[in-house]
Amino acid sequence: MNLTVNINIESIHVASALSVPRPISLSRPSRVQVYVGLALLLALSMLASLTLGYKVYSLDQVFTALFAHDGSETSVVIAGLRLPRALIAPLTGAALGMAGVLVQTLSRNRIASPDTLGLNAGASLAVVVAGIVFGVQSLAGLAMAASLGAFVTAIVVFGIAAGAGGLSPLKIVLVGVTFASLSHAFVEVLLTSNEAMLQQLLFWLSGAFVDRPIGLFYTALPVVLVGGIVAVGLSRALDALQADDATAQGLGVPLGLVRALAFVAVAILTGAAISMAGPVAFVGLVVPHAARRLVGLRHIHQLPAAALFGAVYATLADVAARFVIYPVEAPVGAVTAVVGAITLVVLLRRRAA
Amino acid sequence: MSASLTMTGQRRLNPAVPTLIVAGAFFLLLLGAIGFGTIWMSPETIANVLLGGGEKSERLVILQLRMPRVVAAIISGAAIAFSGYLLQRITRNELASPGVLGVVDGASLGVVLFLAIFSNEANALMVPVSWQPLAAAIGALVAIALVFILSGRQASSTIRLLLFGIAIAAVAKALTTIFILIGPNYQATQAARWLAGAVYAISWSEIQIMLAALIPTVLIAGWLARDLPPADLDDVSSRSVGLNLHVYRIAVFFIAGALTAIAVAFVGAVGFLGLIAPHMARLLVGRARLAGIVTSMMLGAMMLVAADLVVRVAFAPTEVPAGTITAIVGAPYFLFLLMRKDKTNG
Repeated sequence: MNLTVNINIESIHVASALSVPRPISLSRPSRVQVYVGLALLLALSMLASLTLGYKVYSLDQVFTALFAHDGSETSVVIAGLRLPRALIAPLTGAALGMAGVLVQTLSRNRIASPDTLGLNAGASLAVVVAGIVFGVQSLAGLAMAASLGAFVTAIVVFGIAAGAGGLSPLKIVLVGVTFASLSHAFVEVLLTSNEAMLQQLLFWLSGAFVDRPIGLFYTALPVVLVGGIVAVGLSRALDALQADDATAQGLGVPLGLVRALAFVAVAILTGAAISMAGPVAFVGLVVPHAARRLVGLRHIHQLPAAALFGAVYATLADVAARFVIYPVEAPVGAVTAVVGAITLVVLLRRRAA
Repeated sequence: MSASLTMTGQRRLNPAVPTLIVAGAFFLLLLGAIGFGTIWMSPETIANVLLGGGEKSERLVILQLRMPRVVAAIISGAAIAFSGYLLQRITRNELASPGVLGVVDGASLGVVLFLAIFSNEANALMVPVSWQPLAAAIGALVAIALVFILSGRQASSTIRLLLFGIAIAAVAKALTTIFILIGPNYQATQAARWLAGAVYAISWSEIQIMLAALIPTVLIAGWLARDLPPADLDDVSSRSVGLNLHVYRIAVFFIAGALTAIAVAFVGAVGFLGLIAPHMARLLVGRARLAGIVTSMMLGAMMLVAADLVVRVAFAPTEVPAGTITAIVGAPYFLFLLMRKDKTNG
């Protein structure tokens, strides 16, 4: 079948990338340039997120609001509404970007992402169950539930796909999609039989950066940092895992341990992202591809690049969402879903060619 | 393929026997489905009413309230199951189903967009709600067309089609969720109900439209099904016995898509029926073609009728959509199939 052939070709690429430390590519900018460029872009897009919107504020006003809060209405809006978005969007994007890299490596599947593997749906289900069945009300409690849901789903989906005889790309996505519809069905049953909770939980099910309390950012920041550090710590092992199991074992990688830790990292990162913004569609699918294009296959570079690019991407998508159907604000998930759709189709077509 | 192995022992059994058994179970289920509800209607009462007798209230409950639901569930369940049968046979993959081809999610997106575009400020629809099925059918057909256009010259490859189908389905689903969530409240409830698959609000006139669209489609599908290659025939051997698989496959995919599109347009996004029914039919009657089609359709109808019955009896008075029941039963079954299969299947 085509797919297996493709994967073998990919793994050959990986193997050569491993033996030759620096893949020769003249058109590619150096990694330092990439990192600096992305960091600059991130700063710019966060600034755009603070200034642009239904009302456009001057840099002066933004500066006053952030560093010399004078209690004026402008300052209140900027510090209370714009600032949380400008912080939560990049953190969510970074978390989902890194989670996407991990998921794609674990499944050796370039169309895998927290969405296509059902992790988002699992996290949403966990939030609804925690809210309705266990009566959890606090943000921290619901955030924990989201992480737990993502974690359990990751284990179940990969477990079933592995039990189904190898982690073939189609199979793992089929399992993920099925699991997602199962979760959606349960969410549906719980919400139709308890409509009072619906309004309260829409917050978690929609995927948006609007009206999020800034407290979420402070709760999630250390979590994302831990997830990121675990992921980067695994990067050498992940490089080997990317090829195939035999290669990885030959290089002395403890497969089970690495997979387990990577799962934990995926769950932590996805859970943190969902606890902040809900499931923002397809960020985890798009970002890893951009990261690989920019810095190549090695995880020590891929992960930070994915974090930076994800942050920029989510922030810009959030800014764009304010102008797509101006003066009304479009949900950021619609923007990322459309971009994600185009990316997915391009990926599938390229792979097919 | 443990299924076929266990079947070989029973193959000598005439496939008509299990088919008749399923038909008997189907009949009993129908009596139950019409009988159960807030008021119990005994089989005698039902027979009486159907023959033109019975009291006025009994006639109202049976003919106007319960029968339309049951009949709609039968027709659409059977259509979706037939669609699944065609897809599984043509792809020689028992994991194929209308849902995986993006048909169901495309229809959902069509309905949600319809509700979003034609609602006015006051949250009311500006066009008759009976146009909703048309929107669903258009959505479904656009989704299939997109899957085919995007896969381009790879359209004859099963795996490619499934991958593109999954991609289109995922995107349609993401957009659907978003449109529901940003829409006004009434619209959201209306859409969410439909999306999850609900047979409860259907009327006889809608059933007539549904039949008018389905009967020709089913006939074409039946005509195409006569040429379905034996399940174990690969591309090369099919060509050598004179089948033009490329054109034929695309025709089957389109007809299968249309069958599901018409059904879900009226009863909502019912998931997993098209996957399970043909599979169970094969377990029961083996690979015989006619018996397989008939049993698939009966099983599909039974599943949807049963799901609707569960919803009416267990969750009353809230109307939990029937599609959630089929998903909750169907998804684990699908996962079980995936786990049981060897690598050859995907």
